[in-house]
Amino acid sequence: MIPLLQAQAPATSFWSEAFNSSELWTKLIITLIVGLVVMVGLLYAPIRARKPIVAFFTFISGAYWVLLYLWPKPIDRQPGEMPLNTVETVSFWLADSNNVVVSFTQILTGFLLGLGIFSLLKIHLTKISKGHKDAFFSIVLLASMGLMIWFGYADWFDRLGERGAMLDNRDNWGFTQYGRDFLFEGLLQQMDAAMFSVIAFYILSAAYRAFRVRSVEATILLSAALLVLLSLMGAVSFVWDENVKAIANGNPFILNFQLTEVAQWIRNTFQTSSIRGIQFGVGLGALAMGLRLWLSLEKPGSGS
Amino acid sequence: MPLSEVYIGEQYRDSGWFGVFMTLLVAAFVLVNIRRARGGKDLYIRRIAGLNAIDEAIGRATEMGKPVLMVPGLSDTINAIAVQAVNIFAYVSRIAARFANPILLCCYNAAVYTYAQETIRDVYQSEGVADRYDPDSVRFVSDRQFAFAAGVSGLILREQTAATFFLGEFYAESLIFAETANSIGAIQVASSTETTQTPFFIAACDYVLIGDEFYAASAYLTRQPVLVGSLVGQDWSKLMIILMIVFGTILNTFEIQGKTTSERTKGVWSQIPERNKKQSDTFMSQLFKPQLEKVKVERPIDPNYVPEGEAAK
Repeated sequence: MIPLLQAQAPATSFWSEAFNSSELWTKLIITLIVGLVVMVGLLYAPIRARKPIVAFFTFISGAYWVLLYLWPKPIDRQPGEMPLNTVETVSFWLADSNNVVVSFTQILTGFLLGLGIFSLLKIHLTKISKGHKDAFFSIVLLASMGLMIWFGYADWFDRLGERGAMLDNRDNWGFTQYGRDFLFEGLLQQMDAAMFSVIAFYILSAAYRAFRVRSVEATILLSAALLVLLSLMGAVSFVWDENVKAIANGNPFILNFQLTEVAQWIRNTFQTSSIRGIQFGVGLGALAMGLRLWLSLEKPGSGS
Repeated sequence: MPLSEVYIGEQYRDSGWFGVFMTLLVAAFVLVNIRRARGGKDLYIRRIAGLNAIDEAIGRATEMGKPVLMVPGLSDTINAIAVQAVNIFAYVSRIAARFANPILLCCYNAAVYTYAQETIRDVYQSEGVADRYDPDSVRFVSDRQFAFAAGVSGLILREQTAATFFLGEFYAESLIFAETANSIGAIQVASSTETTQTPFFIAACDYVLIGDEFYAASAYLTRQPVLVGSLVGQDWSKLMIILMIVFGTILNTFEIQGKTTSERTKGVWSQIPERNKKQSDTFMSQLFKPQLEKVKVERPIDPNYVPEGEAAK
């Protein structure tokens, strides 16, 4: 019920019936039937017809987002207001439908997660049944998954009931809450943190390889990195900058050679412009890719 | 404010139209060039070292009899990045299928997993070696970032992969993958659409596709007219951006020398004592930063509307 509650949009939406009302249930059942008919239709559609059908639905789905971006958005819209003209009627409808359209994605993801879990179960149950040498890890994984699901849902159901508010206080916790807390906060979060910490060691080994003086480019990279690193060390940058100030004696040109200034110049002039250049390329690529997918110009696996 | 200005739409007020205009122009460039390429026009793509290395990496894996590992990034859902990554992996899988080389494709997202599974199965079928396809070669690992990192790293170490491809959306886990694969001597081709992760890949991997090279991959590998045309459209767009930067730099250089007696704050112009122009006073700055004046629009209230607070009572 939670996703449906979240999907309830303001008054102008198709789905904005009262929670648990017969109107809402009627719409849901009709939608479910339509969905099933479409699915069965797709399954039995001739293979040649499938591509245009998929292209049609892709276009309609994408058109919503294109329209949401291009159609004039209402100015100063307040809750409960009605549209003034046709343009606003469409823009109100587009804005109000947003929650519902986003919910479609969430529902689809929910179904697909089931397929993901099926993949995990299949791989690891096979390993266990065949007595693979790593079967122990598979047992640990499946047991952890089962326990986490059980404790997670049991705790969620507890919190839905009358005791829910009381469970905010740790003194009222039972076995379920302690179990969930141990698994999630005590184990999972800590293991996440441990994996994240490992990156520090990897940075060291990668930096050692990257910053070796092998070519002109590597030397420039090493020098720039060294200057930026030193500028972040308070004591080093303080001593350097004070010495430069003493030598400069107020000369603005020589003051540019303070370590913090040099590091800032490297960041602003080289790093920022390079990153922006890359981001322009990535943004344009994503836009072109999105356009090809929306218009079904790109077929799945076209890289091959 | 005149009524005509009020109803142009929030996003088009002041210079807000410019972003929409540029987006449409880029779309037009892409579509025009796809049309040109379809018409038989020969369009040039420069050499990309990272993509030439794909065949070399798979060849090495075949010689060693070890699997090729692919990770299509950590996209939260199927987006353009994930689709592009899987498209490149389709090419990798095709070469691997020809040489009967085992593959492993690890997914972070269940939606990407289903898409990847379908795509790779199609590749094996189209190569006529459907029997070589192992459904477990495309697998969902976890949708939790570091659990996924741990799972994939474990897989790299256990399977001793000879070649690894990390293409897509990567975050903090990028270095965990790259260094783990490096530690076993795997040949690595990587690309991240996150600019913060690209340096890590450059430090740890053999070949890195930077920025839009990732999107150019399909066009480069297959030379399909649609993809090549699209790539040329992107290049036209980049050229337009470069020209705009040059024009803006020259214009700003001259403008910033002058003085001003007026200033605009939140869309409202006001007279001020004369001062030197700041960057925010320049034409380019105002073009790229729409300043929306607060406007009040009177609309009728829906008679059935119940305010949120009262509905709860």
